[in-house]
Amino acid sequence: MKLDLSRRGFLVGTTALAATAALGAGPARAASGKLSVWKFGGTIAEVEAWPAANERFLAANPDVELDYSFFNGQIRRQKILAGFQTNRLADVIIAFGQDIPEFAGFGLIQPLDDIAAPGQIDDWKSRIVPEILGSGVHEGKLYGMPTYVDMASFLAIDMDALAEAGFDRPPSTWSELREYAKAMTKPDRPGIAFPATTAPVDINIFEGIAYANGGRVFDEESGKVLLNEKGVVDALQLYADLIADGSTPAGTSMTETNFRDTAQLFSQHRAAMWIGLSWLNTPWPVPEEPNWEGVPFPRPDAPSGNHPPVAAIMDGSALLMVSSRTKNPEAAMAYIDFWTQNEQLNTWGGSPEIARVPAGKEAWSSPALAEAWPNWVKAYNEGTFFTGAEPMPRFIGVSAVESALATAIQQVVLGQKAPQEALDAANEAAQAQIDLLRG
Amino acid sequence: MNRRSDAWLAYFMIFPVVAAVLAFVLGPTWDVATLSLTQFVMGQERGFGTLANFRALWADPIFPTVVRNTVIWILGGTLFCVVTGLAVGTFLAIDSKMTTALRALILLPWVLPDVVTAMAWKWMLHGQVGVIGDAFTRTGLTEKPISFLGDPNLVMWMLVVVLVWRKMPLVALILCAAIRSVPAEQIEASRMDGANARQRFRHVILPNIAFSLTAVTVISMIWITAEFTLPWVMTGGGPANASQIMSTYIYQQSFTFFNWGVGSAMSVVNLGFLICVVGLYLYVNRRSWAAGGSK
Repeated sequence: MKLDLSRRGFLVGTTALAATAALGAGPARAASGKLSVWKFGGTIAEVEAWPAANERFLAANPDVELDYSFFNGQIRRQKILAGFQTNRLADVIIAFGQDIPEFAGFGLIQPLDDIAAPGQIDDWKSRIVPEILGSGVHEGKLYGMPTYVDMASFLAIDMDALAEAGFDRPPSTWSELREYAKAMTKPDRPGIAFPATTAPVDINIFEGIAYANGGRVFDEESGKVLLNEKGVVDALQLYADLIADGSTPAGTSMTETNFRDTAQLFSQHRAAMWIGLSWLNTPWPVPEEPNWEGVPFPRPDAPSGNHPPVAAIMDGSALLMVSSRTKNPEAAMAYIDFWTQNEQLNTWGGSPEIARVPAGKEAWSSPALAEAWPNWVKAYNEGTFFTGAEPMPRFIGVSAVESALATAIQQVVLGQKAPQEALDAANEAAQAQIDLLRG
Repeated sequence: MNRRSDAWLAYFMIFPVVAAVLAFVLGPTWDVATLSLTQFVMGQERGFGTLANFRALWADPIFPTVVRNTVIWILGGTLFCVVTGLAVGTFLAIDSKMTTALRALILLPWVLPDVVTAMAWKWMLHGQVGVIGDAFTRTGLTEKPISFLGDPNLVMWMLVVVLVWRKMPLVALILCAAIRSVPAEQIEASRMDGANARQRFRHVILPNIAFSLTAVTVISMIWITAEFTLPWVMTGGGPANASQIMSTYIYQQSFTFFNWGVGSAMSVVNLGFLICVVGLYLYVNRRSWAAGGSK
């Protein structure tokens, strides 16, 4: 057989082959050069575990100069935006899943699919729970690699107070919750406390309740804000009813008490129940913890919203994203690849961190997780853990909508307005912001 | 050295300051002014030469609340800062061992970082765990602890109280120094003429410190307008926007909503408001200002 190949053709062909091989070999080749990483937010255990893992990364990648910084989660948008405008954005950003649409819209981050080596994302998928991996996807592309998620909403119950009030099981419906909260209230200890500040987590907790009632905050297709629909209004009415029943601390107190502070109050026996996210298990530094149990937040007696009620909403607050301005995508991807390895993902497997829902499949078989979350591990093994769960609201303008929602919640908690009235005003204000943002 | 070379030397010496002002004050101000006339959302420019940002601001139902709160914040804060500063400064001007020690101690609130101050006050004023509310209840002043920062009717005034605690010491020290520099013979002469303490203060001390008083009032006003950390850390603008002021709302529009055009428009309004208030104050006090400046 005669091979009809010119010298030029040979050179072009071999060069193309070499280039393809070199591109494909990217992640396998040891990364090098400077790599800056900004991490925002996290529990105490997580904040300590992350730098320890970074040491392992550096041991495996000795040619990388890692510059790791940790910041409070509340300032992430400002910090990232300022970094972007001044051309000093970190190569890897570890932030919240809810941020992805706005960060992508702003051009702050780039799809990981575009810079991943062939087969690399499939490799990650083999180790990550698919429902959790979905929290990093936006418009069909993977922008963030999640390491865990938090789910909303849950209820922590002081079991001694429950027994004292004559109940032998946690409440399972909204009407039962009102009955329980009233019965568990003492003059010096409210039956239930919930956070009502403007902190995003406090709003997520309420959204979990509203979504379970068939409510939604926004319709992506029409661009319409849906805050004043019945599903959300009735959820806010539940807050109003609990206050009217006299089962909560004073409204003025709840508007200055965020999720973290409410947890502290519960663990100090200053509330018999509190509403939070799935990190109820977070160890709160108090001398004597109550005898307590965490359960999914009670369901509405009859969901009244226009949309399918969800079992829970979830989002991660430590998704690894690559900045659009990174000058070292190889090292950035090597860093993310490192965090998709089981050894790192097991950080959330009950040791040292017990407060999050782990993204790593292997973490779910950890004995420590089974001890901390027996019911969850059982449900995961039965394949029902994520059934009916949806991502937390995420769209361009989500902050504006959630900010308006926070104002409405506070107005109702303070008794300034009825839920429908407060949410009508919030809807109008949020729609104006959305229209402005979307042009 | 002749007069001409003196002038050149003077220009040379002030050049760095002029350059710094141009680069760090006028430059950003011009940038904000042009940004306020630009629809700039999510990092994208959508047209220059429009008043859309100002229209959006007037249509915003929260904006009137923000303006009202800002008036309380700036005017209330300045008034209380200067009045209490004058009272404390007058006391500190008295020569005694105690006032000598107090002149140093009073600066303690200035030593603490803003965030530490804000967090400490936030917890002291908290409705459920705050020591202040608890003390009120224990002493029988109130039946139940008060949520100072959670009550929309109280929150702005509580912020002003913390602001005064924070800013007043420097005002007091400046005014103390001014009072101590009043010529002793003038005070003595008025005493010999039969003037009582109130009359000496009103007719001798106040005219002598008018320049310092005007200067410290204007500076306080500018400080308070620019203050962001205290209200943001203590309340975040809540509850239900009851403590939302210009600086916190500009921050929210720009960095939470990514709406830089509206944020800049609000900055321009804020600057205009400050210029009007300071201008009016200087006009009213033009005699003492001019007299002091010419001394």
